Amino acid sequence: MPSSTSSFERVIPARPWRGMTVTVVMILALAMAAWEIRCRSLGYGVTLNDSEDLWARVRRQVEPESIVIIGDSRALFDLDLDEIEHGIGKRPLQLAQAGSCAYPVLHDLAQDLRFHGTIICSIVPRLFFAPPQAPPYSVAQKALQRFHDATYSRRFSLLLSMPLEEHIAFLKQDDLTLSEMLDDLPIPNRPYALVPPKFPPYFATIDRERRARMVERCAQPGPLQDRVKTGWIPLFTPPPPPTYIPHDAFFASMQRAVEGRFHDIKSDVDHLRARGAKVIFLRLPVTLDLKALENQLTPRAAFWDRLLKETAAPGIHFEDYPELASFDCPEWSHLSAGDSVEFTKRLAPHLRTTLGR
Amino acid sequence: MLFNSLTFVVFFVVVVSAYWMTRSWEARKNLLVIASYIFYGAWNPPFAALLFGTTAMDFYLGRIMGKQERPEARKVWLVISVAVNLSMLGFFKYGNFLLQNFQWTLARAGIAYQPPHLDLFLPIGISFYTFHSLSYTLDIYRGVLKPTRSLRDFVLAVSFFPQLVAGPIVRAGDFLPQLVRPPKLQRGQFFWGLLLMTLGLFEKVVLADTLLAGSADTIFGYGGPIIALDSWLGVMAFAGQIFFDFAGYSICAIGAALCLGFHLKDNFRFPYAAIGFSDFWRRWHISLSTFLRDYLYIPLGGNRAGAARAMINLMIVMFIGGLWHGAAWTFVVWGLLHGSYLALERLTRVIVGKASWTEHLPIKLLLGLGTYFAVCVAWVFFRATDFTIASRMLSGMFGGHPHGDALLSTREILQIGSVTIFMFAVHWSLRDTTIEAAVNRLPVWLVTGIWTFMAGAIVLTQGNSNAFIYFQF
Repeated sequence: MPSSTSSFERVIPARPWRGMTVTVVMILALAMAAWEIRCRSLGYGVTLNDSEDLWARVRRQVEPESIVIIGDSRALFDLDLDEIEHGIGKRPLQLAQAGSCAYPVLHDLAQDLRFHGTIICSIVPRLFFAPPQAPPYSVAQKALQRFHDATYSRRFSLLLSMPLEEHIAFLKQDDLTLSEMLDDLPIPNRPYALVPPKFPPYFATIDRERRARMVERCAQPGPLQDRVKTGWIPLFTPPPPPTYIPHDAFFASMQRAVEGRFHDIKSDVDHLRARGAKVIFLRLPVTLDLKALENQLTPRAAFWDRLLKETAAPGIHFEDYPELASFDCPEWSHLSAGDSVEFTKRLAPHLRTTLGR
Repeated sequence: MLFNSLTFVVFFVVVVSAYWMTRSWEARKNLLVIASYIFYGAWNPPFAALLFGTTAMDFYLGRIMGKQERPEARKVWLVISVAVNLSMLGFFKYGNFLLQNFQWTLARAGIAYQPPHLDLFLPIGISFYTFHSLSYTLDIYRGVLKPTRSLRDFVLAVSFFPQLVAGPIVRAGDFLPQLVRPPKLQRGQFFWGLLLMTLGLFEKVVLADTLLAGSADTIFGYGGPIIALDSWLGVMAFAGQIFFDFAGYSICAIGAALCLGFHLKDNFRFPYAAIGFSDFWRRWHISLSTFLRDYLYIPLGGNRAGAARAMINLMIVMFIGGLWHGAAWTFVVWGLLHGSYLALERLTRVIVGKASWTEHLPIKLLLGLGTYFAVCVAWVFFRATDFTIASRMLSGMFGGHPHGDALLSTREILQIGSVTIFMFAVHWSLRDTTIEAAVNRLPVWLVTGIWTFMAGAIVLTQGNSNAFIYFQF
């Protein structure tokens, strides 16, 4: 039988531990301070990380009659929450996500029987009609999963991380993590390797309500704006069809997926409408090369017009209103912080009319 | 609560401070019980009740068993303990798996049956704490442990937060004696604990999550054929990822326990420097392999009943070991593959005997490399979610897809290559020693530099809090 004391004890290396620990802490503090100064000198400002936890936090604030914005990064950047509140009398909740397909979120709200509020849904057809196995779809799914499965531990970690992120510029999960920095190393790939394109660098800040604002350095012509611009074309260009599926079969399956998505959207909009909820679709500004690419890949008649017709939901397309069509997107895809306020101010009356407020 | 989360940092600072500021040993143990249940309940509070229920049942069964004189009576209580523990594990972990297989068997007999899908949440770490708890009644039955009189002490032994959800599987017999009197910190123990926690987190968040996990996910998640180079690199990435993920957790647990004055045994001893498969299992997940050896392999007869019976016993043990990891046939195949490796090795030893030429370093390295590649082949079944993926991966690895796709960027290839070489170098240079001995040998400035480097790299990953792979088991 074991004796009253354990016979097992780990060996503790005989080293000057106290001094070593103090040295580690001091060097680490100095290194972090130096890294912070370096990041700020490179133009990085403080901002929250737009994590799944932050998204889930806003999702938990949705009440039965809330106004909810869903969609892609254009809804994040271009819609000013103050102006919408001012225009339609109620502050919306921002649930759009950069690079995401909004359909899973629309479906989730349709399944949430408590909800009978208003959904403002931004449409970028390449994203909204992305198939379930594509990255834009999984971006939304991960956020939803975090909302449904969030543990107390995760929620508490978010509460702790927000004040840190609001004061430390190098805390940027999309740009300044070790993996992102390694990814930025200029190492050429094998020409035949199917390596996905990179996301654009840091060019926006986001607050606790998830209102994104383009940083001024990107709104002005310069290297950052050029990097962001050139990043969109490969991201919006469809990847080559898989080599292991006959091309005809692949394109037929993609077409079936699009038809299926139209059917699912209609079904969800009908569910929402049946219990008094409202859905309004938005097409937000896009310019120059990116606009040309989007129009070529996802023509208005085949996606936007058909979406409105099949769902019988109201929609606002920026090109249909001269006061909305006159904005310039500095990096082709989003409005500058200043323009987003003016744009939303001009959009609000249309929203008000459409929503019958 | 994840070790790699801000919540844990705050939790640990509060618990350690309160623990060492409290004078009474009884109060300190109460504090650890409360902290451990908060740690566990932070995932899903109702499961804390399940944990307590299992623990209390084994405590009382152990007490009753301890009072029995007759072996038959002791056996009855042991059977009850094993049956209830394994039923609980079976219901939560294997319920849907058993139903699916039942449906499949009926279908083969021409009977159409649609079982209900049990919408079950798997209580996190259930496989670990069931074994923690079960070791208590098993050891009382074997006569190597006296039942403890304190329910609180036994609750703490099972739920002690550093090892609760992902091991090491600490046996009650190793932990309960440490609760008899307050621990005295040896010189430097607290700081050594902190260094081990830094090392564990570095392995998890930097090496496993940042440098390897993405590549393994890309390769195993691809739906088409992949060329041999990328297939092998994907498997090597996973081999590194699972080691750094799980060993990282174990080292964190050992470090956290040391900071509180407790001593947990090693769970890994440089396994990728193993020469042969029995050596591998003496180095990989030691707490599980010794658990299966003592409570399953030896009771089955071990190697006492001849070579043939020993091989059958090995296969049974590895079958159970595979199934312990997950409710899927891929895990069973992984276990059986290892069982076959072990049986084959035993057979080779019987035929060849002790060959002195295997003691030369180049031969040892070659045998070690062979062991690593065979282990990698087995990892394919561990990581693949179904046999279609596993067979596609194996086909790719052995040249079946010369015109398949290349998926990894050059940066990823360099990462996998350099981390694997680094891992081999460390494992082979330390294979016959311990990390403590290595730290004692290195100059102070180098240990300080390595510690600073690891802490800095963790900060640079910015709290990437992916769950540990072994949480799902």
